[in-house]
Amino acid sequence: MAVEIPKVAYAGKIKEIPLGREGNTITVGGESCYPFHLFEGAMPHPPKIAMEVYDRAPEDWPDTALEPFADVAGDPAAWARKCIDTYGAEMIALQLASTDPNAENIPADEAAAITKKVSDAVDVPLIVFGTSNVDKDTEVLKAVCEACEGKNLIIGPLSEGNYRAIGATAIGYKHTVMASTPIDINLAKQLNILLGNLNVPDDKIIIDPTTGALGYGLEYCYSVMERIRMAALVQEDERLQFPILANLAKEVWKIKEVKLSETEAPLLGDQKKRGILMEAMTAQCVLLAGADILVMRHPEAINLVKESIQDLMIRGEG
Amino acid sequence: MVICVAENINIMSKTLGPAMKERNAGPIQDMARTLTKNGADYLDLNIGPARKGGDELMDWLVKTVRETTDLPFSLDTTNPVAMEAGLKANIKGKSLINSISLQPERLEKGLPMITRYNTDVIGLLWGKDGMPRDADERAAMAVDFIYQANEARISTSNIWIDPIATPICVDANQVLAGLEFMSMLGEIAPEAKSIVGLSNVSNGAPENLRPYLNRTYLMMLMKYDIYSAIVDGFDKELLAIAGGERPEHVKLVHDIMDGNKPDPASLGQTELEYYKTTRVLMGKVLYSHSWLTT
Repeated sequence: MAVEIPKVAYAGKIKEIPLGREGNTITVGGESCYPFHLFEGAMPHPPKIAMEVYDRAPEDWPDTALEPFADVAGDPAAWARKCIDTYGAEMIALQLASTDPNAENIPADEAAAITKKVSDAVDVPLIVFGTSNVDKDTEVLKAVCEACEGKNLIIGPLSEGNYRAIGATAIGYKHTVMASTPIDINLAKQLNILLGNLNVPDDKIIIDPTTGALGYGLEYCYSVMERIRMAALVQEDERLQFPILANLAKEVWKIKEVKLSETEAPLLGDQKKRGILMEAMTAQCVLLAGADILVMRHPEAINLVKESIQDLMIRGEG
Repeated sequence: MVICVAENINIMSKTLGPAMKERNAGPIQDMARTLTKNGADYLDLNIGPARKGGDELMDWLVKTVRETTDLPFSLDTTNPVAMEAGLKANIKGKSLINSISLQPERLEKGLPMITRYNTDVIGLLWGKDGMPRDADERAAMAVDFIYQANEARISTSNIWIDPIATPICVDANQVLAGLEFMSMLGEIAPEAKSIVGLSNVSNGAPENLRPYLNRTYLMMLMKYDIYSAIVDGFDKELLAIAGGERPEHVKLVHDIMDGNKPDPASLGQTELEYYKTTRVLMGKVLYSHSWLTT
């Protein structure tokens, strides 16, 4: 006897958001079903991976993460080019780590100049991250918006404390914003409402619900992403029908499990393989929770996840 | 009619807390007079865990407030010595023990006081493993509480079951579970009374919007004949709802709960607010701080 597989009836759909400059856009979102439930609906745009680039040579990365970029660390534009030319990056995520007031604290105009250089060097969509310092990010991201007019960057994080100032500037220079909230579905919805009230267009909003690394609260982050997607698709919650971004690489590559060498922790096995798998598994989990954009670091981890996305996108029988 | 227990005399209050510590009767007595005038049925006297000197504080507080009002008191502390001091001090008035949970040590110390002082008690559905996860666990815990109390010769009619309300901005499913349990309590124990702390549901919401959630939640609970509620004694509209003076709003909320969705365009401002808030509390619309304006 044939078994009838129960199917979820979806009432909502995720908005389609074109990223990057005109003529070179990549669209994310558009789902009308849960992640990879292709037997129930459509995922017109498979999830994308953005490769991380740092504005300075990283000092606290394990060698296993730095090794693929050792020749370009310190030159963000060359680093971005290498990600695209050598590793086939679909997007670049520039981390403006040196703007951190607790680190080098470089001024906003210097950060904007670096961003401009990177954005001129690449034609793929460019994501630009501040350091989650409400006041400094306001200065930096406003300067970045102005310097890169017309490039439709994805800038963030925008939080409850600075969404007005950065949001208004982003509208003016036509960039996309990343609405960031601390692992809380109600606050995520609220920030999207506030951005709407500010007149940020619906096709210029990406949700960053905050991600942790595997073993460091990932299940909690997973659950919030999953619930956001459920509210958007099944409850027709219009203010949650936006693509989701997971800024995961910097979470994974700071934990002790990727930093300890095999001599220090023989039970944990090969350090390089371990780091790659920790990053790939974290990415795989958020993919299944509903992430549309994964911010990743290690080329080998990225290849594993790309393969997985391709496999999951094959429409099977039934 | 829903019995209203005013929650305002609380050691956490920025003005009354210091007054309690300094044994300054004035502000506390003023508050008690106002709450009595506003129409509260009980006054909650909350001194918190009161680990040090709780008995003296409760004794003083009961006597101080008693000078201003004839209302019964809900004595609110987790310190059993302070509880007993309060019961003694209020021996001529009526007392409600707030509360005894299902944790064994609480039952052991708390239950004998109920018969000794001939009082009522709030049976808090909080067990060894913490909070119940759904309506069924609440039902099981309610049965357990009532059984243990009956064994200690306490009549079911002296028990006010509190199914524990949790904030809507934490989890709508828990709010629903509380309502579902309330729909079952009448069959589980027809003689048992019930009580819900309304302000819990709006914890975390913007201060000026909390009354909308508290009032709507009360009307939802009235569908299941809630006996009493712990309330903000300054929310006169809430007290009017509890007093049966807003039957048209109560009917609207109950209709929405029954699935008879009104046309939002046909509703006036207040009705529209109750409509939106009911939908949020039912989990139909995900809570956000802007729920009234979207």
